[in-house]
Amino acid sequence: MSNVKPAYVELRFRPNVQLISTVRRFVSDFYEYALIDADTVSRLALATHELLENAVRNTANQESRVCIAVETVGGVDRVIIRTTNSTTPANIEILKRLFQEMNAAKDPFEYYQLLMKRTARQPEGSGLGLARIRSEAEMGLNLEVAGEEVCISATAIVTSKG
Amino acid sequence: METLAIDPVNIQGFNATPTYDGKTIRLALKGSADLNSKPMLDAMLEKMHPEVLRLAVREVVIDLNGLEFMNSSCFKSFVSWIGKDQDLEPEKQYKLRFLQNARMHWQSRSLNALRCFAVELIVVEV
Repeated sequence: MSNVKPAYVELRFRPNVQLISTVRRFVSDFYEYALIDADTVSRLALATHELLENAVRNTANQESRVCIAVETVGGVDRVIIRTTNSTTPANIEILKRLFQEMNAAKDPFEYYQLLMKRTARQPEGSGLGLARIRSEAEMGLNLEVAGEEVCISATAIVTSKG
Repeated sequence: METLAIDPVNIQGFNATPTYDGKTIRLALKGSADLNSKPMLDAMLEKMHPEVLRLAVREVVIDLNGLEFMNSSCFKSFVSWIGKDQDLEPEKQYKLRFLQNARMHWQSRSLNALRCFAVELIVVEV
């Protein structure tokens, strides 16, 4: 039987770098409310922060949206974090290539290590954020594109602390 | 005794305090290392590698006990620093000892990734 409380939160905000850590703390409280264990709360908070920074960096109209759902489907408790923003065609192409490469790598940790080696001697940009979500937060990632709007979702199977 | 030529970083929500006791450089991080603090952290870590070599230090201790969070951009700053250490001749390489806060669960995952990246150089202490 599930001990996770189904819950949903949606935030729409103007990109502001300072806001991201504030939102991370807020959603950590939200995850704790949903009775998720401490390690999972930490994983989800990390994923939320990385997704928000990704959205803030890439938004074309200064606005980003994050939706978080804690739900039980078919007896399985899961959390889905979705960030949505509009962006440029160039950024969409970069994201598509990144997801293509990432999805082709079957082992998230090995891919993360590969990116770390690749990025270590590059002066600018990390490109580590999404790979970090897959590896450290142990979440599946998905990219949806509709026109100039991109939606990146991260999904985790969770266990309750009860 | 020579002194460390690196200034601390003190901004809202993030502090980085480097100290040197004549043998070991210690860097204590507090708060949230994110996009807001990234430029200052980068500037500090850029200076850290040459200072370690100038002072012929064999170990740098990075204290994460007060660090609530580190984003991937700041994490990459550490990856770059470790890359410079890896590029040194083996006899000139130095250890990076990370002091982990077990209550900050993300730290064990991030530090495990760093340790696997440079297993010969990284020590993690809980």
